[in-house]
Amino acid sequence: MTAGQEQPDYAPPRPLSAYLLGGLPFDALLALQRRLVYDISGDRDTAALVLCDHPTGITVGREGSAAHVRPNPDVLAAREWPVNWVARGGGAVLHVPGQVACYPVLALDALNLTAGRYVSELVLAACDLCREFGVEAAPDPERPGARANGRRVAHVGVAVRDGVTSFGLVVNATPDLAPFRDVRCDGDPLPMTSLARESAHRVRVTTVRQLLLELIVKRFGFDRVSVFHTHPAALPPPTRHAIPHGS
Amino acid sequence: MQRSRCVPITVPELGSDRATFSLWHVRAGDRVTEGDRIAELLIPGAVFDVSAPATGVLAARTAQPNDPLAAGQVIGEIQEE
Repeated sequence: MTAGQEQPDYAPPRPLSAYLLGGLPFDALLALQRRLVYDISGDRDTAALVLCDHPTGITVGREGSAAHVRPNPDVLAAREWPVNWVARGGGAVLHVPGQVACYPVLALDALNLTAGRYVSELVLAACDLCREFGVEAAPDPERPGARANGRRVAHVGVAVRDGVTSFGLVVNATPDLAPFRDVRCDGDPLPMTSLARESAHRVRVTTVRQLLLELIVKRFGFDRVSVFHTHPAALPPPTRHAIPHGS
Repeated sequence: MQRSRCVPITVPELGSDRATFSLWHVRAGDRVTEGDRIAELLIPGAVFDVSAPATGVLAARTAQPNDPLAAGQVIGEIQEE
């Protein structure tokens, strides 16, 4: 996408439901994501986005390996670090507080995107986010994600089922970087970095979350955004209106 | 008598030149319904599920895990019922 473009060429205007949920256990995210994928599969003109962070744990995608996780199962159990093997692209990712996890659920056919282009767009959104904090980040050509000063600051790993995306992007905003010594995220041998480490500006998770929402909205051309701060399961059921007499 | 025909399962356009076959969700001889998830493909950063193009029996699986793939390549076929 060229600079200065208001609407990307591939995307007609679409509404987006954004769920800004704060801390969310990974199992709860999986259940929510399944529901959203089901909903979007049946109503492809709509889209959803979940922005949250997870308690400490590890997810391993299809390109990951047990060899990327250094502690043995006993140590992981003692630390209460669950390991989830998930059907997404990308490798192992250590989830810790201070990250922002971004899960767009979009129908790619409605956006005229291929899976490969979608991954590239997510990586570019991560680079744009870094730029907002004065950090020059570049796409990683080997393992989808963004690098700042040679170290990974964001990971991308997605799944496409029935043309609908799930999983997405994890950005290191303000995490403690020490635990990353135990997990080679996406198989990368170099240490991780974070926006807080690279940026001269003050970095707050809430700011990162808000900016990421705005960047996703702009990059994928959504023109109407409904923001929810509550898990959909906690929302009241939709009101069932009576059919007017005589209709 | 009407003969059943074989429908090829092809790799869609994934927008990546580094696509590989990941795994099959069904075995040869299994009955599948059009739209069922039957296979998974992998590009850097993404997995992509392939849906059954027809209802019938999976007659052949010609792709194996880690095989490199190109758009339009046939990875199997379904004997239509």
